[in-house]
Amino acid sequence: MLLVLLSTLAPLARAAPPPPAGAPSAPVARVDGVPSIGADDFARLLGGVQFWRSDTRKLVIRAIGHRMTFTVDVPIVILDDRTLRLDAPVRSRGGELQIPVSLLTQLPRDTTGMHLVLEAGGTRVRLVPAGGLVGPPVVSVPSADVTRLAIATAHAEEARVMGRGRGHFRIWLPGAAAGPPPDSLPPNALVRRIRAFESSDGVTYELQLAPEVQSYRLVTPARREQLALELSRVPGEGESFAPEGPPGPRALHVVVLDPGHGGADAGVQAGGVSEKDLTLALARQLTGEIEARTGARVLLTRTDDRALAPDDRAEFANRSRADLVIALHFDGVPGTRARGASLWCPPASYAGESDASAGLPLMPWRDVALRHAVESRDLADDIASALDAHGLGPARVRERLPVALLGVNAPGLVLECATLTSPDDLARVTAPDGLHDLAVAIAEGVLDWSRH
Amino acid sequence: MKLAFRLLVLLAVLALGVWGWRTLRERLSPPLPPAAAADTVQTGMRATTLFFADAGGDTLVTEARELPEKSDLHARVAQLVDALVRGPQHRGVAVLPAGTSVLHVYLDDQGRLTLDLSPSFQQGFHGGTQAEDLVLGSLVRTLGANLPEVKRVRIVCGGQPIGSLAGHLPLDQPLDPHEAD
Repeated sequence: MLLVLLSTLAPLARAAPPPPAGAPSAPVARVDGVPSIGADDFARLLGGVQFWRSDTRKLVIRAIGHRMTFTVDVPIVILDDRTLRLDAPVRSRGGELQIPVSLLTQLPRDTTGMHLVLEAGGTRVRLVPAGGLVGPPVVSVPSADVTRLAIATAHAEEARVMGRGRGHFRIWLPGAAAGPPPDSLPPNALVRRIRAFESSDGVTYELQLAPEVQSYRLVTPARREQLALELSRVPGEGESFAPEGPPGPRALHVVVLDPGHGGADAGVQAGGVSEKDLTLALARQLTGEIEARTGARVLLTRTDDRALAPDDRAEFANRSRADLVIALHFDGVPGTRARGASLWCPPASYAGESDASAGLPLMPWRDVALRHAVESRDLADDIASALDAHGLGPARVRERLPVALLGVNAPGLVLECATLTSPDDLARVTAPDGLHDLAVAIAEGVLDWSRH
Repeated sequence: MKLAFRLLVLLAVLALGVWGWRTLRERLSPPLPPAAAADTVQTGMRATTLFFADAGGDTLVTEARELPEKSDLHARVAQLVDALVRGPQHRGVAVLPAGTSVLHVYLDDQGRLTLDLSPSFQQGFHGGTQAEDLVLGSLVRTLGANLPEVKRVRIVCGGQPIGSLAGHLPLDQPLDPHEAD
């Protein structure tokens, strides 16, 4: 009897695979003229588990804290103890149930507010995270000096400036993009291009700004379902942008990769993996990707599992005459929902405020990386942009001089490639191609930086 | 008659002696303190601002809280650190490692506070750069917000200088509590 029960339930009881990076979605097919979504996709998007009862031809999906029962050829869904009526029956096609999309509007949201929506055009169903739908930005030019971007969002107060370079000015908002950014912009606007990058819980808008823009500010209008970004040609009317270096290609002969931690210092540990092992494995993959794209020689501060003092790492980079130093790390912020990548570079404002007329500046060797702050900042922007474009974000640029750059006389940064305490990030990094995807994105960022 | 005269002289001498003794006693004795008031001393409360991590692990959020007034600096710093370790009462997340406590504090005349924390501060930390930034921000900004005399904070651990919490952000120099995030 037990075997019979198991043969009925167990082979078909399976956890849905984790949703892919970016905004999870699934196609809509017409079944007998009715827009429908496959049960496999439906369960996958909601992170649910399916149970098939062949004797009664019923499918049970447990997801978002509810139990949903579908019966083949019946236009009714039992949701816990409630009955939901559909506009057409559930059909079976190719061994998979097809669920009419009219169900979506009747489904409750899960505890985080996540829910499914039918995209405009009705060709795909997508998972909308708690933040709801965001944007797209609407660009206007209220005066000759000001360009304004209005972005529809229910969470304007959670907006984060992820990078403040004019070439890669990036803003993150929770939610999913309601539509693509505009293709054409007003000719006198201070923004030249807008790109949107989606991660599982938010959208990053990356703006390429005109060189003459001097300041920016985020404004939350009285009507709070909107965030406005105001760009101004006038300095001091808001926050300033990161200083920029001169245009043109950069010489890139030697790149030093510094895999973080090692030996007794395992770094962050999560899900059975240690940060020290991931950083070394990533450095090995990244070596080939950078060499293939740039022709530069790549050197590693450590090639095995050993502890290295910060001074030894800095000395290695300086002795190698590195043109670029990237310290590889993986983050962990226990007890929070932190996720994504962060890039830590010397404060660019330092170089921007230096005064040549003050004579020869005296700088402790400890802080020598500040001399390369502008180039480091550009590198951080390029790599962050590449990570976002590959769906490996959100990536945030932070301006703090990290330990790994103390005494390093070269442009560089600490790259926290992902947050291992985030289940999504951990699954992505430990997937078969997880480190390879990271290596490709980072190498593309380095190539962009060298081309400038 | 002679006996009565002697009694009168004796009484006069006794009265003079008593007067003299009381006068002398009053002059030598310190003034009596005023009568002690009834036990009406109450512990005052002080409005404080505590910094915790937001649930997204991305930035800091503040929490206003009334804490008992403390007179000396060590007690005030220890009270704030203890409140951070215990965690928020509303939104936010505690990021100071469990078991962190204040061993010593010293404030110099330049407003530089040397804060000596227990070894748990370093041993109980398990995170990366972002986590370190949140821990240091939570600690230093809380001290800066509630102790106006503190201009810089130098963190040491178990009586020894430390280069960093776990190898990410430098602690070899004092931190500015008012540095913008």
